[in-house]
Amino acid sequence: MIKSPTIGRMGGMAAVFTLAFAPQLSAQSQAPAASAPPPQLGILAPANLAKPRPKPPFDLTGTWLHNSPTGERFDPPAGFKLTPEAQIHYDAAQKATKEGKIYRNDIGLCWPAGLPIMMTRAWPVSMIQLPNSIFMIQELMNSVRIIYMDGRTHTDPEIAVPSFNGESIGRWEGDTLVIDTKHFVADHHWIHDRQGIPASDALHVVERIRMIDGGTRLEIEYSLTDPKSWVGTWKITKFWRRVDDRDIAEVECLPDLNEHMPTVNSNANVR
Amino acid sequence: MKRLHVAGSLAIALCTAGSAFAHHAAAGVDQTRTVTIEGTVKQFKWANPHSWIEVEVPDGKGGIAMWNLEMSSPSRLVPAGWKSSTVKAGDKVKVVARPMADGTPGGLFVSITLPGGQELTQQAPKPGQAPATP
Repeated sequence: MIKSPTIGRMGGMAAVFTLAFAPQLSAQSQAPAASAPPPQLGILAPANLAKPRPKPPFDLTGTWLHNSPTGERFDPPAGFKLTPEAQIHYDAAQKATKEGKIYRNDIGLCWPAGLPIMMTRAWPVSMIQLPNSIFMIQELMNSVRIIYMDGRTHTDPEIAVPSFNGESIGRWEGDTLVIDTKHFVADHHWIHDRQGIPASDALHVVERIRMIDGGTRLEIEYSLTDPKSWVGTWKITKFWRRVDDRDIAEVECLPDLNEHMPTVNSNANVR
Repeated sequence: MKRLHVAGSLAIALCTAGSAFAHHAAAGVDQTRTVTIEGTVKQFKWANPHSWIEVEVPDGKGGIAMWNLEMSSPSRLVPAGWKSSTVKAGDKVKVVARPMADGTPGGLFVSITLPGGQELTQQAPKPGQAPATP
């Protein structure tokens, strides 16, 4: 069964269309079917927030800064195999690197980093945990993720709108928060932008989040699958530390900013 | 005024300009050297994710070269002693930068000498150093 705010909005739009452009329809035909499911409550609807739920194992509310020895990017595992389409980007990035250039500097050109890199950029992520959801806001470009945990399932792929951060559905498994994310955009979205490893609209990300070290650190195990870009599932674990002395600010990537960034405009960028 | 100059710390400068709190790769920068320019500030932008300075520098041929200097974010600059009023249009300044490799005027900011002689970098002072106020 599909339940999503998208369907709710589309249902409303359909009703408006019907009333405005199809007056010949009978009143009976406009009435909802008796068996139609109730519309999905918005994640911030008081009635949704107030539903009884088990106490969560931990509360992510706070500001977190990525801090992993493996750096902010997601290196492929040893012996990885790319698809022919992804191999083209990878080879071009290797060539650019050898020439001292940067391949497809999309984040510098104000494209969103997208999941998973949006979690590990060198800027903090503020997280707000509610009874039925978690809001994550990356300071860089104030990119937002909403983790839906009110029992809904993923939106029908036929109507889901692809995005850089995807659609995230969360659930608790013991002391671990498991987030399943899909419905990504296919272009200007990278798993490893320096190595030229692209994400496609077939990307599927599973994050297993544990709070460790007395609540001062997060461990997230990433399982990355994208049959349009590589073979198999890549796993990598990243870490964050709580930064209680930081607030996030409005950080926009604007055209007039980049006009004054000689590195963005340099011919050492391979577009 | 205390000298806060730590321009000799190449590795730290590269780290700040090229990765931490940047939003892009430092493409086209000659990472092997610094240059010192002297000129007049045309504009100083106090903004996220990068602040920047435009400096008009005599090109030695009777003309002016406009240098764009990329800086870190205010969240890094404030602990290093910066305010939005630290640099103003018309200020005569000396700037150390990592230049663009192709000779385009501009590069990554390393340090500045203000009209009063004070020097500032993008690095917060280490423990035990004087507070970073210009």
